[in-house]
Amino acid sequence: MLSVNSLNEIQQMILVIIGVLVFASTLFWIMRKIKPGPQVDELVLRTKSWWIMAGIFITAALVHPGISFVAFGFLSFAALRELSSISKNARIEDRSVIFWAYLAIPVQYYIAYMGWFAPFLIFIPVFMFTWIPFLLVLKGHTQDIARSMSVIPTHLMLTVFSISHLAYLLSLPELPGFEVGGRGLLLYVVFLTEMNDVFQFTWGKLLGRRKIIEKISPNKTWEGFIGGLLSTVAAAYFLRFLTPFSAEIALLAGLLIACSGFVGDIIVSAIKRDFGLKDTGTAIKGHGGILDRIDSLAISSPFFFYFVYLLYYVR
Amino acid sequence: MKHLLLILIYKLLMPLFLKIIGVKVSSKKPLPTLTPYIIVANHNSHLDTMALLSQIPTKDLLRTHPVAAATYFGRNNWLSILSNIFVNTLLIKRREEGGTSDALELISQYLEKRHSLIIFPEGSRGEPEKMQAFRKGIGVLLQKHPHIPYVPVYIQGTGKILPKGERLLVPYDAEVRIGEAIHAQSKEIDAILIEVQDAILALKDYK
Repeated sequence: MLSVNSLNEIQQMILVIIGVLVFASTLFWIMRKIKPGPQVDELVLRTKSWWIMAGIFITAALVHPGISFVAFGFLSFAALRELSSISKNARIEDRSVIFWAYLAIPVQYYIAYMGWFAPFLIFIPVFMFTWIPFLLVLKGHTQDIARSMSVIPTHLMLTVFSISHLAYLLSLPELPGFEVGGRGLLLYVVFLTEMNDVFQFTWGKLLGRRKIIEKISPNKTWEGFIGGLLSTVAAAYFLRFLTPFSAEIALLAGLLIACSGFVGDIIVSAIKRDFGLKDTGTAIKGHGGILDRIDSLAISSPFFFYFVYLLYYVR
Repeated sequence: MKHLLLILIYKLLMPLFLKIIGVKVSSKKPLPTLTPYIIVANHNSHLDTMALLSQIPTKDLLRTHPVAAATYFGRNNWLSILSNIFVNTLLIKRREEGGTSDALELISQYLEKRHSLIIFPEGSRGEPEKMQAFRKGIGVLLQKHPHIPYVPVYIQGTGKILPKGERLLVPYDAEVRIGEAIHAQSKEIDAILIEVQDAILALKDYK
């Protein structure tokens, strides 16, 4: 049901999104004019994907919430496809098993759409975790089978289970006195995670000296990380109108998103480096770089989700 | 009628389908229109033909033919009719299957009618993601028609999505890289073969 009040909330949110995107696009466009380079190109690419995300988000808010679930499903699909393609650990014999991994996507998102919490929690970590190795056993190629058994479920966790938490935010029951609902939480976590990446990058460029983990991600510095963290916490504080958070909780949420986003970022960086995709400087053409888009989100979304869940939905 | 069908398949449905299963097509330049050329590509999967046809300009769909083995796509009447209607194939007999130089004669006739061709000189899809030696035919054709350019294409990854002998289609990232139309420089058949192969492999390395 749309009351005038909630319509205004949606309109407000849409205005915020478009405002921020226009600001970011202009900023990066100017940055590129002043000092071109691959890293700024990366930021410009990022804003492009934000526009797409925002478009989907707004359409879903105005037309039908189901659209978001389908869109996130496709995001998981593309990420899983990319990960299975660049992975040197999955064998060519695993094709048919990887097919089953793809089938898990519509199931997981349908569960999220229906808001079935327990099935949502166990479908991938318990059921698929068993089903995939079982299928591998039935196929009977024992050479390197243990590797496939661990790799394929991990891929599912990283690309499907994680991202589906963003969708599930939309299925959370309404909290008393908080009209913005799951949409606000979704916007909050996606926006803060993305901004945290940009803040870290910008602070790193400005002040960065001490490398955190040079072997994995040479551009990550302590200065960038701390600067990003403080900026994200500040943003989390000011954007708390999207959430039911009190001021203190919002600060904690910002801290959580900044740290988990950073961890997701370097985990995916390490995976890519292992597959030889980092040393070449630019990602290999044809590998769409979707993992680069979702790296920090893959970790920050489940962490943020359970943060909200434990604080507001457990009695 | 057939033209409409081909447009529907290769201009509307195929791009969407290819995008979902992960085939990405990139070309340095759009393919020339209304002039004959021979697309020469390495071959791993039936998807290769589908992806290439989806890149043919709409006007040219009806006059572009993938050259295919009669023993495979013509093994019964139904299959040969279907592959004619839906894929617009030109079926020929391989030499070892009782074909004669008539096959090349037939292909030449199409070129003279200003039709374009898609040829996979490896002759068959082979093992997934492994390039085999080229057959002579493409060299003979390019030698005989020096005014007709060839378009080198490098395809990678389709052999994982749908390898030879498999029915299950599994999405993976794959890439079809289309080069620019060029004329063969050499005059000898073997030299032309090497030239074409090098042109295809050169696409593998460009970024």
